[in-house]
Amino acid sequence: MSTIHSQRAHEVLQDKEKVSRHDQTFWSVREKRDAMASAVPEWEQLRDLASAIKRHTITHLADYLEQFTQQLESRGVIVHWANDAQELNEMVYGILETHKVTKMVKSKSMLTEECHLNEYLIARGIDVVETDLGERILQLMHSAPAHIVMPAIHITREQVGQLFEEKDISKEQGNYDPTYLTQCARQSLRHEFMEAGAGLTGCNFGVAKTGDVVVCTNEGNADMSTSVPKLHIVTMGIEKLVPDYKSLAVFQRLLCRSATGQPTTTYTSHFRQARPGAEMHVVLLDNDRSEMMANTQHWETLKCIRCGACMNTCPVYRRSTGASYTYFIPGPIGVDLGMLHDPKRYSDNVSACSLCMSCDEVCPVELKPGSQIYDWRQSLESIGSADPMKKVMSQGMRFLFNNPSVYTSVLRFAPLANIVPDAMTRSRKLNAWSVGHTMPQFAKPSFHQWWKKQNKK
Amino acid sequence: MKKEDLLQKLRQNTKEQYDMPDINIQGLTYPDLFVQFREMTETVGGKVVSARKTDDINQLVRNLYPEAKTFASSLPYINIAQKNPDTVTDATDLNGTDVGIVEGKVGVAENGCIWIPQTMKEKAVCFISEYLVIIIDRQNLVNNMHEAYARIDMDEQYNFGTFISGPSKTADIEQALVMGAQAARGVTVIVLE
Repeated sequence: MSTIHSQRAHEVLQDKEKVSRHDQTFWSVREKRDAMASAVPEWEQLRDLASAIKRHTITHLADYLEQFTQQLESRGVIVHWANDAQELNEMVYGILETHKVTKMVKSKSMLTEECHLNEYLIARGIDVVETDLGERILQLMHSAPAHIVMPAIHITREQVGQLFEEKDISKEQGNYDPTYLTQCARQSLRHEFMEAGAGLTGCNFGVAKTGDVVVCTNEGNADMSTSVPKLHIVTMGIEKLVPDYKSLAVFQRLLCRSATGQPTTTYTSHFRQARPGAEMHVVLLDNDRSEMMANTQHWETLKCIRCGACMNTCPVYRRSTGASYTYFIPGPIGVDLGMLHDPKRYSDNVSACSLCMSCDEVCPVELKPGSQIYDWRQSLESIGSADPMKKVMSQGMRFLFNNPSVYTSVLRFAPLANIVPDAMTRSRKLNAWSVGHTMPQFAKPSFHQWWKKQNKK
Repeated sequence: MKKEDLLQKLRQNTKEQYDMPDINIQGLTYPDLFVQFREMTETVGGKVVSARKTDDINQLVRNLYPEAKTFASSLPYINIAQKNPDTVTDATDLNGTDVGIVEGKVGVAENGCIWIPQTMKEKAVCFISEYLVIIIDRQNLVNNMHEAYARIDMDEQYNFGTFISGPSKTADIEQALVMGAQAARGVTVIVLE
């Protein structure tokens, strides 16, 4: 009956204080997003446009990919096509090997999490250094991101301080001030930027018409990663394209306001070619995206621009944290992406939704994450992941509701349930729904009996 | 994987094609672009200073950063710079720059973004400097990103450009906002009348 998500959430919820803080943190981000959205009168028009532009781009993706890569190649950028994670990892390693790179700095990229690129490169002797502060903290802790935009938000300042002392990044024992700790990380990462032989970035948007790779950060770490080393490698999913600057403006206005409630990221950098004396490579990853396009019910998941707004608003995510999900992207969009990727393997996450549909309302590209979760649940039977107990109950209910006389007589005896000992109905094994709920009392007489009596009066 | 195979698969798997919408949108506009631009720049942690075109920009920058020792710029009218991103051997030579001075081409009132196309050999000057000064003409302020994207272009030689809005920042440790994460700790925008 219980899913991996619910089991993990149960564990997470043991620390009530931590969960409350997590919940409040992300709710405050949601509130900031709301303040931003309401300050833009044309907000809903922007969302409609963003959705329509992505629909168009994804259903003309082959043409736009040709245009995008032709533009890049015309300026000497080397383009690679990776079928899956393994191929992408091999390609990136191949480029690094050719250039005899031993240290690579890296800005945040969920795509490399998807491919487990870091592990692959580290196993082959490359020193991979994450440069986004949150990612760096997680890397040093040997942990994974719990949110796609704010990856280390579940870590406390004390934990960061102790970690930095342990790694000799912080020299002042017991100083857990975020400003101080950030400065320590700045100094430590400065050295890494100076020494690295390559910089790897993700890509927020690829502009087909001009061949721009657009990368957005607040820290400027993607820019530091690409301004010093002589080799820039971009890894990006094929779905990241937009047609032109006119479309890009729509997304730029939505992305950061939706993600963190800021009017823009600090840096929005446009790369079209390698800088003087350097080399630029773009690795385009399929990894099932071309298969996902054929899913008539769920292909619009590919419109996602990875802002994380659906997570911030999700009551289940906020109270169960990123650690409870089995796919590497948590929250509503993670549930959908996991199902698209491997439904059998990731179906545990579809229960992590109260169907409140708040995510449908905030998604800047209107891909309706919550409605999609609802649809995935309807298909669990065909995937072979439907809960057997729920199936028995559904069949029982179907029988009951199709036979009014049986239904009426069952109702007459329903109050008998009131005398069943509480311990039995609240057994987690027998009834997962009873956890945290009190069993309602069946009324005597039933509504039917009461109604008939009223009509007689 | 072969590119052709992927493109063919994408075409096969596309069930229904959608038209490109008509992007006809009236973005936010402001009665006074400068006032809004200044307000947004301050909101994102930057500073705005007005100057006349005839003012001595070198002196102005010195006054803004009295303790700075090392300046870097490739702008011909900046004579206080010890380092020139056009002539340094390597980007690493710019590390340790106290103040970098660059020119912005388009300033956006809705979010404080300034478009800086790369016009120097080492763009590191925009990021590596402890503090960044961006000089922009008041005539080049626009309302919103729609107007900005209709205007921006790149130097053909470098083909790189970036929008910068205030100093480098992070809130990765317990959501506490800290300026000066990896790039500039502070940004001053000089708006020329």
